[in-house]
Amino acid sequence: MTSRQLLGRLLGRWETLLLVAIVGVGAWSATLSPFFLHRANLLDLVTPYVFIGLIAFGLAFVVIAGEIDISVVSTLAVSVVSFAQLVQAGVNVWLAALAGLGVATALGLGNGLLVGVLNLPSLAVTLGTLAAYQGLAFVILSGEGVSSFPAGYLRVGGGYIGNELPIPLLVLLGLAVVLGLLLHATRFGRYVFTIGANREAARFSGVPVARVRVTVFCLSGLMAGIAGVFVYVGYFGSARADAGQGQLLDVVTAVVLGGVDIFGGVGSIAGVLLALVLVAELRNGMQLANLPGDLQNIVIGGLLLAAIVSGNLIRAAQAGGLRIPGLGLRRKEVIAADAEAGVPVNPTVETRQGG
Amino acid sequence: MTGRRRVTPHGLAAALRLRETGIVIALAAVCVFFSIRATNFLTLDNWQDIAKEVAIVVAVGVGETMVVLTRNIDLSVGSMVGLTAYLTADTLAQHNGAPLALIALLAVGVGIGLGLVNGLLVAVARIPAIIATLATLAIYRGIAFEVTGGQRIAAFQLPDRFLELAASKPAGLPTLAWIALGVALAGGVALRLAPWGRDLYAIGSNPEAARLAGIPARRRVIAAFVVSGALSGLGGFMWAARFPTVDAVAATDFELAVITAVVIGGVNVFGGSGTVLGAVLGAVLVATIANGFTLLRLSEFWKIFFNGLAIVVAVTIDALVTQRLQEALRRRRAEVLAARHQEAEA
Repeated sequence: MTSRQLLGRLLGRWETLLLVAIVGVGAWSATLSPFFLHRANLLDLVTPYVFIGLIAFGLAFVVIAGEIDISVVSTLAVSVVSFAQLVQAGVNVWLAALAGLGVATALGLGNGLLVGVLNLPSLAVTLGTLAAYQGLAFVILSGEGVSSFPAGYLRVGGGYIGNELPIPLLVLLGLAVVLGLLLHATRFGRYVFTIGANREAARFSGVPVARVRVTVFCLSGLMAGIAGVFVYVGYFGSARADAGQGQLLDVVTAVVLGGVDIFGGVGSIAGVLLALVLVAELRNGMQLANLPGDLQNIVIGGLLLAAIVSGNLIRAAQAGGLRIPGLGLRRKEVIAADAEAGVPVNPTVETRQGG
Repeated sequence: MTGRRRVTPHGLAAALRLRETGIVIALAAVCVFFSIRATNFLTLDNWQDIAKEVAIVVAVGVGETMVVLTRNIDLSVGSMVGLTAYLTADTLAQHNGAPLALIALLAVGVGIGLGLVNGLLVAVARIPAIIATLATLAIYRGIAFEVTGGQRIAAFQLPDRFLELAASKPAGLPTLAWIALGVALAGGVALRLAPWGRDLYAIGSNPEAARLAGIPARRRVIAAFVVSGALSGLGGFMWAARFPTVDAVAATDFELAVITAVVIGGVNVFGGSGTVLGAVLGAVLVATIANGFTLLRLSEFWKIFFNGLAIVVAVTIDALVTQRLQEALRRRRAEVLAARHQEAEA
C-alpha cells in the first residue's frame, strides 16, 4: 500500500495532466463532429489502437527497468505470420495462436539473453533484431496476405458485445489490470523498479538482476505476440509480414507520454493506458479534421518530444530548482547531489584492492 | 613501470586495427564465394554497380559515424535524405537551368537545418537521441508528405546533366562514388587530425571526463548532428540523381542501411571508437553481400534478415572487446593505485 501511495504522489500530477488533456481534446473533437460524443463512437475510439496499447504495456516494463526494446513491432509481425502459416497448414486456430505467442516470447527471450546475460546495450541489440525479425517475418510469409481465419476466432480482436461494446477494449482493460497488479503489487514489479532506478544498488541488495531483465524482455515479446495474434489479426482480419510497420512511434509515445521515465525507475500502467486513450482520441480528432496520416505523425512526434521535455522539467523541479542553461538536471547530477548530501556511495574497486 | 603503462593504448590500437582487418578478410571471403557461385560477379560492370550502391550509404554514413562516436544515434537520416531528395528533384524540375552546385548547396542547407533541430533536442533539451530522432524521423517524413502533396517527380522532368551524375564514370568510377570518396576523405581527416574531431572521441569515451577537461561537449554533439544532417542533405541530392523518380516515401528505412554499415564497420555503439575507413568498409561489405544475393537470385527478404543479424553480431563483438578492454584498464588502475599506496606507506 505504501508503494502505491508513493507512486500516487509521484505520478498524481502527471496523470491529472493527461486526464485534462483527454477532456480538452474531446471538447475539440466534439466541435469537429456532432457524432463524436455518441456512446458508440466513444466506446469504439480506442479499438484501432488496442494492439498498440498492449505492446506499450510490455514495453513499459522494459523502459521502467532502464532498457529499451524497439524490436517489438517486428516481433508482432513474426508472431502474426507464424500463426498464419500454421493455420494455413491446417493446425487448430487456437493451438496456432498459442504457438504464435510462444514464438513471440522466444524472440523476446533472444533480446533478453543478449541484454541481460551478455550485458549488451539494449538499444543496439533491439535495433539489430528490429531488422532481423522483420526479415524473418518476410522469409516466413513472403509478400502475401492470409485472411482465411474462422469468424469465431476473429471476435477476440474485432468483435462486439451487443453491437456496441468492443471485445478488444475488454481485452485491453483486463490485461491492464493484470499487468498493473504485476508491476505495482508483486515482488517482481518492485524488482523492475529497483533495477531501473539503480542497477548496481539492486545487485548489491540481492535482486536477481539478470533473471528479472531477461523476464522483462520475454514479457515484452509475449505482449507483442498477444497484440499481434489476437488483436491485430482480429481487428484487421488478415495477417501480413509488414504488420505493425510504422507503429513504433505510437507505441513509444504511449509509453513516454504515460509518464514512464525514459531513464528507468518510474512509471505506471494506468499512465500508459491514459496516454493511449489520448493518442487514440487525437488521431481520431485529426481524422475528423481530415488530416492525412503522415501529417498526424508530425503532431504525435511533437507530442512525444513535448512529453520528455516536460518530464525533464518536472524532475528538475523536484530535484530542487531549474538550472536555466540546461533546462533540467540529468540523473547523474542528481546522484552527485545525493552524494554531496551524505548518501553513502559504493566503495570502488580501487579502494578495496588498495586497502 | 613506464613500459607497462604503454600496454593499454597499444592493445586498444591493435583491437581497432584487428576490427578493420577482420572486415577486409570477411570481404575477401565473400568475394571468393560469390565469384565461384555467380558468373558475372567479377565483372567491371558489376563493381561499378556496387560502387554506386555504396556511394550514398558512405556519404550519409560519415555523418552517422560522427554522431555514434559521441554515444548518440541519428535515426532520422532516412527521412532527411527523402525530404531533400524530393526538394532537389522538385527545384530542378521547375528550374531546369539552375546550376547543380547551387542545388546541392540548397539540399545541404536544408539538411543543416534539420540536423540542428536534432542536435538541439538531444544536447539542449536532453532528450535521449534514440527517442528524439525517432520523433523527428516521423516529423520529417510528415513534412515530406506535406511538401510533395502526393506528387511525384519523374526522370523526364529532370535535366540530363543532373542524371549524368549517376550515369557517368570518370576514370572508371561512377561520379557518385567520387563524391562519396571526397566526403569520406574529408570526414576521415577531420576525425583523425582536427581537434574538433578528437573531441568527439573524448565525449564518446567518457562524457563526464570530457566535460571536466573543458571540452564544450554540448556544442560538439550539436555539431555532430548538424554534420549528419548536412551529409544527409548531400545524400538526398545524390539520391535524386540515382533514383530520379522521387516521391514522399523515397529512402524509407534507409537509416537501417546506414546504421548497419556504420556498426558493422566497427564504429562502437558505446561511443568513443571507430573510424571512417571502417564505416566505408562496412558499407562495401553490406553492399557486396546484397549484390551477391541479387546475382544468386536469393529473396530480398533474406537480405533484410542477414543485415539485422549482422548488426547483432557486430554489436556482440564490440561489447565483448569493450568489456575486456575495460577489465584490463580497471586492473591496471588498481595496480597503479596499489603501488602508490605501498610507496606512501613505505
